[in-house]
Amino acid sequence: MMVQRGMEIAENRPFSNAKLGVLILLGAETMLFAGLIGAFLVYRMGNVTWPPLSHADIQLPRLVTGINTGLLIISGFTMFQALRTIQLDKVKYLRYYLLFTGALGLLFLVIQGSEWIQLIGKGLTLQSGVYGATFYVLIGCHAVHVLGAVVWLAIVICMSWAGRFSSVNHTGVETCTIYWIYVVALWPILYFLVYFA
Amino acid sequence: MLQKMVLTILITTLIIVILPLTLEACPSCKNLDEPIARGFNWSVMFMMAMPFTVFGIIGGSVFYTYRRANRDLKT
Repeated sequence: MMVQRGMEIAENRPFSNAKLGVLILLGAETMLFAGLIGAFLVYRMGNVTWPPLSHADIQLPRLVTGINTGLLIISGFTMFQALRTIQLDKVKYLRYYLLFTGALGLLFLVIQGSEWIQLIGKGLTLQSGVYGATFYVLIGCHAVHVLGAVVWLAIVICMSWAGRFSSVNHTGVETCTIYWIYVVALWPILYFLVYFA
Repeated sequence: MLQKMVLTILITTLIIVILPLTLEACPSCKNLDEPIARGFNWSVMFMMAMPFTVFGIIGGSVFYTYRRANRDLKT
């Protein structure tokens, strides 16, 4: 009786524990990125010329990354649409939107990876001073988060195929959407900071 | 009792007189004209604002959700 009452209270709660847990996780992630951005600001503002003279010949691929940014922003939109469709109980469309979002996320990672290969080829590595270190740590940390989001999304896609979501029960999609949109929203800040500052 | 109090006041006064009047809180940021000091300053400001932003957003969203739910219940 008490267990049933407890479950009723949990179901009627406007803010689920899972959602609160994800928000706290994102708070911790924000602090991590704030630390990294803080370190970048120290080095960036501490150097009058940026990139430093030792790396003056290296040009970061702004255009390709700009297009990549667009892809990631579109993926945020499709993820939001996925949540909207499951709220309207359209499970079939949910799968399409989730798959499309996952594909865009993977494409983003592939393009990022190819850019990194080109930059390493030009001599910009993690060991090449503060410029290389701040670039790879900031962008790499975000890429790891995108990878984590893609893995999480893959699990959600599998669950949607197994028919685990409905208009009433879709906490899995909701929490994944919050995380995905966070990762998407973070990227333009890092892009303008690292590629244009 | 009075003797102890007078002694404490004397020692405190002595410490205040002996110690330098100005103290540098952070040796890295004392010359704000230097680029690295400016960088440190902006970085500190940015990171100081973050906990308030994070707790504000989390607290705000929980508050807003509960308020909306209560409003829906009333109507």
